[in-house]
Amino acid sequence: MSFYTNIYNSLIKRNSIFVGTIFAGAFAFQGFFDVAVTNFYENHNKGKLWKDIKGKYLEGGDDEEGDDEDDE
Amino acid sequence: MFSSIRSTVRNNIKQFSTSAKKAAVEPNSLTKKVIAGGVAASGLTASYLLYEDSVTADAMTAAEHGLHPPAYGWSHNGMIDTFDHASIRRGYQVYREVCAACHSLERVAWRTLVGVSHSNAEVRAMAEEFEYDDEPDDQGNPRKRPGKLADYIPGPYANEQAARAANQGALPPDLSLIVKARHGACDYIFALLTGYPDEPPAGVVLPPGSNYNPYFPGGSIAMGRVLFDDLVEFEDGTPATTSQMAKDVTTFLNWAAEPEHDERKRLGLKAVIVLSALYLISVYVKKFKWAPIKTRKIRFTPPKN
Amino acid sequence: MLSLRSALRNTCSLRTLGTQSRLLSSTSLQNKSTYRTPDFGDYVRPQGTDDKSRVFTYFTVGSLGLLSAAGAKSTVEAFLTTMSASADVLAMAKVEVGLAAIPEGKNVVVKWQGKPVFIRHRTQGEIDEANKVDINALRDPQQDSDRAQNPEWLIMLGICTHLGCVPIGEAGDFGGWFCPCHGSHYDISGRIRKGPAPLNLEIPQYQFDGDNLVIG
Repeated sequence: MSFYTNIYNSLIKRNSIFVGTIFAGAFAFQGFFDVAVTNFYENHNKGKLWKDIKGKYLEGGDDEEGDDEDDE
Repeated sequence: MFSSIRSTVRNNIKQFSTSAKKAAVEPNSLTKKVIAGGVAASGLTASYLLYEDSVTADAMTAAEHGLHPPAYGWSHNGMIDTFDHASIRRGYQVYREVCAACHSLERVAWRTLVGVSHSNAEVRAMAEEFEYDDEPDDQGNPRKRPGKLADYIPGPYANEQAARAANQGALPPDLSLIVKARHGACDYIFALLTGYPDEPPAGVVLPPGSNYNPYFPGGSIAMGRVLFDDLVEFEDGTPATTSQMAKDVTTFLNWAAEPEHDERKRLGLKAVIVLSALYLISVYVKKFKWAPIKTRKIRFTPPKN
Repeated sequence: MLSLRSALRNTCSLRTLGTQSRLLSSTSLQNKSTYRTPDFGDYVRPQGTDDKSRVFTYFTVGSLGLLSAAGAKSTVEAFLTTMSASADVLAMAKVEVGLAAIPEGKNVVVKWQGKPVFIRHRTQGEIDEANKVDINALRDPQQDSDRAQNPEWLIMLGICTHLGCVPIGEAGDFGGWFCPCHGSHYDISGRIRKGPAPLNLEIPQYQFDGDNLVIG
């Protein structure tokens, strides 16, 4: 039994499991992809964003929780 | 019956083709005259229309439309570039200390500044410096209260009439959406703010109370030059040159017009990645599904008899 | 998905036909067929190879489904999000009240989402009085400690539970509130004691933030 045959038999052979895997994967993918893109985006714009510069303006750097507005 | 129809059709086609051939070989003089007349008529009409158009002046000169602003290299120009938030913060300061004397920003609420250019506590303090109408008290007398995060940034004038009266009849436009509302957007605002010459060029006659700016359509603008070097003092130590202030306030105004800008570009990036992946995969799947259909061969051997 | 499966099954079934000379099954009728079928043997995968290409195809198709599902989920979510309260409504949904300015034994009425909210800075005597009451004798039995997070501060919606009038403070037979419309008497904990109202005055959500009270 090769690696691919194992995959085939475990995930693909039964349609219900195949479709279930796809939907479960969609949920996992969304979370992962959002984090990945956001990281890249914020890294690309490093130094321009508020979270990068707010330390300059606020002594102590501590701020209230209403500060972050990056809801989805 | 069908065969008879077919033969008549065939005959008609034959006749038609022969007559057409004849005409092509030797066009009679009438056809020539019609074609020549048509060409002459359309040519004359076109010439007349062009002439007619050239008699009246159009607003197609640089002076009438305003000088085209150059394309500046804004730090948020790129497809995945956010605003420079330090610039937004300085721009708010310029707006507050310079522009707010005449221009309102009435579509922007204090709360939107939180987490963009100022902290929660800072914005609260800024809002509290302004008074807002409160609910009347038990006796029905009007009351005032300090501003809250949910309030909108107040303008300098109570209403349009007051604004006009204070500015010799000219209404300073609200700046909330000004970047979206002008051709050239950021480039135009920046060019306008920095484009005031010391004196108008020779031959330009301005109405009283107006100033010359080549970027403003028509050239005469009621607003005078307002930004001068070292007019404000930035808290982060950036030298307050005219162009620095113009750049910062333009960035701030662009944020005010498009507060969703940063998030929009992030979502756009996500959408482009997912949709192009979907496209490529769908090309593969299409090819995969069509491969057996496109490569199969069906041969028909007719029966012998 | 189903058609993909049948397509794959067709290609797979070729494997068994590699040795046969024709692509048709061997019913007697079809044996008499005059169709000549080419030999596909060269194109058929030999037995015993692993499922690599098949897994690859399923993986690709699965990815297509995965991305589509994720996209559909995001789209649905985007539409559902439009139903939630917008930022300006949420910004108005909370009211902050500075408590330092309210002396002991005083009532303050603030507007919250268009409704009056009673804030009472109770004295120790009033707290004791509220705790002394026999709960079982009440129409809507409730401990005073269930009605006030901090016994010093009583925060209630100022709407009579009978027909929605606004009761008057520091009035009535029980030293609390009195509704002038139909004569409901509330005690110093805002509980109904006498009159037509069926329930105690409602307690909104609130929390203390240092010297400030945040309602909502």
